[in-house]
Amino acid sequence: MVVDLDRCTGCEACVVACHAENNIPTVGEKQAAIGRAMHWIRVERYYEGDFPTVRAKFMPVFCQQCDAAPCEPVCPTFASYHTEEGLNGQVYNRCIGTRYCANACPYNVRFFNFYNPVWDKPLHLQLNPDVSVREVGVMEKCTFCVQRIKAAEIQAKAEKRELKDGEFQPACAQTCAPRALVFGDLNDPQSEVSRLAKSNRATKLLEELGTQPKVIYLQRGSWHDGEKP
Amino acid sequence: MAKKNNAIYGLYSDPESAQRAVDSLRGADVPMQEIAVISSQPFDEYEFGRRDHRTPMPWLAALGGLAGGAGGFLLAVLSQKAYPLSTGGMPIVALWPSGIVTYELTMLGAILTALLILLVTARLPDWRANLYDPAVSDGKILVGVVNPREDSRVELERRLREAGAEQTKEAR
Amino acid sequence: MTEKSPKQITDDLLRPLFQTSWKFFALVAFLGVFVVAAFASFGYQVYTGIGVWGIRRPVFWAFDITNFVFWIGISHAGTLISAILRLANATWRRPVTRCAEVITVFALSIGAMFPIIHLGRPWLAFWLIPYGSERGIWPNFRSPLVWDFFAINTYLIGSVAFLTLPIIPDWALVRDKAAGWRKRVYSILALGWRGTPKQWSRLESAMHIMAIAIIPVAVSVHTIVSWDFAMAPVPMWHSTIFGPYFVAGAIFSGVAGLIIAMAALRKFLHLEEYLLPIHFDNLGKLLLMMSLLWFYFVFAERLTAWYGNAPSEMAVFWATQRGAYAPLFWTMVFCNFLLPFPILAIKQLRTITGTFIASLGVVAGMWLERFLIIVPSLGHKYLPYSWGTYQPTWVEITLMVGTFAGMVLLYALFSKAVPIISIWELKVGIHNKPAVSRQLSAPGSGKPESAGRPLAG
Repeated sequence: MVVDLDRCTGCEACVVACHAENNIPTVGEKQAAIGRAMHWIRVERYYEGDFPTVRAKFMPVFCQQCDAAPCEPVCPTFASYHTEEGLNGQVYNRCIGTRYCANACPYNVRFFNFYNPVWDKPLHLQLNPDVSVREVGVMEKCTFCVQRIKAAEIQAKAEKRELKDGEFQPACAQTCAPRALVFGDLNDPQSEVSRLAKSNRATKLLEELGTQPKVIYLQRGSWHDGEKP
Repeated sequence: MAKKNNAIYGLYSDPESAQRAVDSLRGADVPMQEIAVISSQPFDEYEFGRRDHRTPMPWLAALGGLAGGAGGFLLAVLSQKAYPLSTGGMPIVALWPSGIVTYELTMLGAILTALLILLVTARLPDWRANLYDPAVSDGKILVGVVNPREDSRVELERRLREAGAEQTKEAR
Repeated sequence: MTEKSPKQITDDLLRPLFQTSWKFFALVAFLGVFVVAAFASFGYQVYTGIGVWGIRRPVFWAFDITNFVFWIGISHAGTLISAILRLANATWRRPVTRCAEVITVFALSIGAMFPIIHLGRPWLAFWLIPYGSERGIWPNFRSPLVWDFFAINTYLIGSVAFLTLPIIPDWALVRDKAAGWRKRVYSILALGWRGTPKQWSRLESAMHIMAIAIIPVAVSVHTIVSWDFAMAPVPMWHSTIFGPYFVAGAIFSGVAGLIIAMAALRKFLHLEEYLLPIHFDNLGKLLLMMSLLWFYFVFAERLTAWYGNAPSEMAVFWATQRGAYAPLFWTMVFCNFLLPFPILAIKQLRTITGTFIASLGVVAGMWLERFLIIVPSLGHKYLPYSWGTYQPTWVEITLMVGTFAGMVLLYALFSKAVPIISIWELKVGIHNKPAVSRQLSAPGSGKPESAGRPLAG
């Protein structure tokens, strides 16, 4: 996936779309205040410079689907593993909730179900039937809307054809108005993501840790300018 | 194993007299396996306490360790191969982590084997009525003869007394 | 030490098994309240969810894993000390070994519960057991948590064996002295032990093998526990020093725990003539050495981090040293080094009371150390937007207090069922000193002259 930071306006529509698509519970005000909100995609906001030359920088962060993911080897039950397609799979049924994967993830993109999720009526009617509802004690994270990937693959197979670039996309990319989020197959040199990934504005997040993330961030200038540790 | 109902023994208050008793009994041509010695602590420095000292237990424990290690290695390697799930870019059969499980099961194998050999060779548990005297718990050392011939009983008792027994008893 | 006859020793050390005062029952009731409260809060947590704890994103481990590492650390007292002292033939160890081994078994049992307690879905903890499950999947042997499973179970089985084997002859002693229901129970437990030279020889061989085997196991256990942290790319966790650092810290807290247990036993079971000032003096010297070693490791780790000046590590570094965790950090330094060092280094202060106070400090300090390794690092990972803090809730505090109460309770119950000092080993130390070497000469070599009297121990 490619994220163009120079286009992102920080509107957070992607966050809402992700919640809707993936049956992510809203934890409530008190729980969010202690830091238990579950936003599979979040928009981090940093300020650069001092008043009056302040700039706000928005960075959507979600599971980077790392090729050398530190969250995968540490799971004792293989709930977190690498699929053959190259995604980091989270199998809710295998998860016993040790939370080791969340500690190992340098991007803090993993979320834990501290309580059983609750949807007050009639909001339960809006749950997406393609996505399971996780119970208490289970870890979850962005899956690149794997249910949409699978649906498109099944459809393509039934029609006996290859997948087309742009045929489907995760909910966040679908919702993004400025087209900051672009999804596609990095293995396909003709796809839009492959084209964007070759840009001279391309960087990766925390690349020095060796996690080999698959999300490419496009931005002009050095990210570290004005950053406070 | 001594049958409780046929033995003659003396109780000694110190290891030197117990040693004298054992020597005396051997002097009466009593075979070693019929001389019973029971004490409430080991007496490794005395000859009577060093009977049956040799044991293959360390070697067997090492063997048990090897077996455990082989088991651990196979468990890790075969199960990783049987359901190959890629994690974090590591190889399917990760040798360093497999080494850890191998090591732990090696040590477990050695420990459990030592335990098993102990129970088997010391013949534990054995709740049958064997030759024993509760005075042993007060620090007395029991030295006696199991299944003595009837005609030698008196002679044996004399020898036990001469060696310094505090008391001699018969168990029939 | 006044020379005691074997009968006197036996009577003294078996007295707690046969005489129980009302104070014991009061103690059991008092501790039982906390233990029951801990079980109740665990039940509440399982029913409602980990949400009743204080953990949150990004601090997903806190009290639970602190307690886990703490109790596993305490468990390194016993078996390690006992095994090392046995192999080194240190004769002063004899009254101490069983006290130490008991600490190991109980602390390990308590520590081993925490990997289950901290799970989001603890009823599925059995998935860590390697069995061919119907789900067609095995545990992930690349995960440090699975290494924990094997290491802790190996250590637990080894420690239980190491503890119970030398108890068998003492149970035989109790069997002979007891009457009624006690006699029946101890007859079964003693496995029909009699005390033939062959049995003694096999027992000592087995214990020797176990002493040799249990030391590397103990080292590996806490190393593997430390690798729960070191294997994750978290600032100040991903360090090669963690293995030796944790083992040294474990022995440190373990020796302190042992001193506390021995001081308590000495007072409440009236063992003044068996647990002597020299024992506390020797253990105090050992504690001093471990305190210096702890300081060395902490200094090396912090100097390296500070000198390297990596931004992500420095965030954790300053948070611990000057930031929100500074009060806890400096309390830890005081408890682990500044307090024990003068007490244990100055001979006049290295008394039973002195070592006891130093040990209390060390136990508190080591708990803080585990907490300060886990929480500041998790709270300050690589993306500052996701930094966070932590505060415990009453559920976690109740669980923690319950484990301390449970430890004392188990220890008290044990001392009522088993002589807390190994009677036969004590007798060996006192009476088995042959003055002449002729005992090992060939049989039938003539009537031996009478040897000198055994020396007082």
